[in-house]
Amino acid sequence: MPRASIVAAGFVLAGLVGLGAYFLPLVRTAASAVASSGTIAGAVSGTISNLKPIDVAPSQPFTVLLLGSDDDSKFPADRLNTQSMILLRVDAGSKQATMLSIPRDLWVPIPNQGMGKISTAYQLGGPHGAMAAVESNFKVHIDDYVWIGLNGLVKLIDQLGGVNVVVTNPVMDDFYPSDLSRTGNPYDYYRVAVLPGAAHLDGVRALQYLRSRHGDLRGDFARSERQQQVLLAIKAQTSHLNVADLPTLAAAFDGEVKTSISLDRLRQLVSIAGSFDASNIHRVVLLPPFTSEGYEAGQDVVLPDWPTILPLVHQTFP
Amino acid sequence: MIPTDVATSSRPRWLPSWLAAVTLAVAMFVFGVGVYNGAGLLKAGKPHVVRPNQVPAPALPGTLYVAQDGAIYRFRNGTFAQITTESGWTQPAVSPDGRELAAIRRYGNWSDLYLMTPSGHLTALLTHDYSPQTESNHWVFYPRFSPDGRTLFYDFDPKDPYNSYRVDLAIFASPSNPSSQGSIQWTYPNYYTGGDVYPSPLAAGGLIYSKYSIDDRSQVHSQVWLQSRPGSTGVALTDPALDCGQAALSADQKLVAMVCTKGQTQSTELDVATFDPTTSTLGTPSTLVMGELVASPVFSPNGKGIAYLAPATPGGMFQLWSVQITGAPAPRELTSQLALDSTSPPVWTAG
Repeated sequence: MPRASIVAAGFVLAGLVGLGAYFLPLVRTAASAVASSGTIAGAVSGTISNLKPIDVAPSQPFTVLLLGSDDDSKFPADRLNTQSMILLRVDAGSKQATMLSIPRDLWVPIPNQGMGKISTAYQLGGPHGAMAAVESNFKVHIDDYVWIGLNGLVKLIDQLGGVNVVVTNPVMDDFYPSDLSRTGNPYDYYRVAVLPGAAHLDGVRALQYLRSRHGDLRGDFARSERQQQVLLAIKAQTSHLNVADLPTLAAAFDGEVKTSISLDRLRQLVSIAGSFDASNIHRVVLLPPFTSEGYEAGQDVVLPDWPTILPLVHQTFP
Repeated sequence: MIPTDVATSSRPRWLPSWLAAVTLAVAMFVFGVGVYNGAGLLKAGKPHVVRPNQVPAPALPGTLYVAQDGAIYRFRNGTFAQITTESGWTQPAVSPDGRELAAIRRYGNWSDLYLMTPSGHLTALLTHDYSPQTESNHWVFYPRFSPDGRTLFYDFDPKDPYNSYRVDLAIFASPSNPSSQGSIQWTYPNYYTGGDVYPSPLAAGGLIYSKYSIDDRSQVHSQVWLQSRPGSTGVALTDPALDCGQAALSADQKLVAMVCTKGQTQSTELDVATFDPTTSTLGTPSTLVMGELVASPVFSPNGKGIAYLAPATPGGMFQLWSVQITGAPAPRELTSQLALDSTSPPVWTAG
């Protein structure tokens, strides 16, 4: 081989190593996500048939269960509840999407566990246990899940440079959990005042906005609406990103995000994200009369009215 | 005859082969590092934000006060001057004679109301809202002088003795003279809505502000509300479905600028309407800016223009804008690299 070719090959190799080093965090995160997905899948093997990534044409609708957990030191890492469950259906063909927030205290039969709050399904069976609980109760097919912890969400929003939202009303809370740090007292609390109007929120402030519930008459339902609102803001912010931003994002997560979404589907999601805006994303929160307050097994719960919920779900998640 | 190794190589005769190899290896390493760094340059990244006093801006008549990153800035003749340190300062208000500022200093669990000179020299601490018990701290927000300058209106969070989870802001009034004592609760908010905010005192003695409510479909609404005296019920100036708030009065108090969302949660619009306090009515609003994230409007001293805060790009930081209220609306972006506090309404004075 001529020396010139060897030298050229050397430079190409050096360039590839440079690119590889740059994208290494992304590869690591993808590998860990696949590994954790596989582990969880093995633990509940046979309970759900759709654990493996599915090759879906871009025009074929798919449904993702978005899960958010308090993963502070109050909870063992393998015993987390989900504070947020949002069913997301994306139809790239019609450029329509639907977000359905599931109340965390919804009292439902949990597969192989008996009756319980739907938030405990994740604790009992991991993400696939949560998927099974939603699938069996809401009679929908779920293709994938995405789970994110508190710090993961804060890091995601900070890496995006913050999000812009219209704070609908003053969000006041004198008992907001001070649990982002794993070293402090996880039962400590502090005061939150998120003032109304259009605002640019960093990760911590955005988390306060979507997580606070003590000072709102609508409690968890208000929180569900704010979670959907911040999700839309995150989606808007990610539309500015390009592939060079992904390694920094991936490095920031550091185990705070788990998903069964394949890289292929992730690419589809990124490619169609710009097609959606607030006007073609349908937002559903299961307020009364879809649900009512109740008391079961010594705890306050949210009781579903399935005759009204299921037609709505079948309409929006056909 | 030319030796073969020289004919097939570009290496100068004087360069030993081992040195050429090392040089090439170093060059390749540098190239690899360059590719790594070059990939990083392709990132969309975060916007470059500067302090207001680091950049000029088109001049506006009079003086504006804005807040960024916990500091208050004075904007005059196209130049920003920082008048406080970056230590939780926000929401300045100017006395009618322009000789005094009221401003909020926000800490972790509480905030306090201060008086200062227009150059930022502190003259009085008007509240003492700190408590070692977390839930016993208080907030104070949105100070505003009455048109005669003798009263300060502000938001405060009275405690509910029967339910410590209820934290709703209410509008209070106190003498602006620090040597005078006493406060009056003007408004009584709807429970668990977050409260009444954003007072704008009227020359006739009343008050307009933003009131929040939750309807029987669990939807939250904001309305511009008019109240003639402390504790009275008051009347709504806007329909709940319009979701209007952040109302600002023109100097002659004949116009109201307000931000309305009309149920949207990702965009707002800037509306202006005539105001008649004697009949407690607003005229039909005209929209000056729509499809943006408008916040905290304020009238120019002559009432012909409005300054407001909004991001220049989707997801961007909030910048200072101005728009004339007559003719075809033509919003003008005055800054581009700032990260102004959108919950701190600008103040615009003639002086």
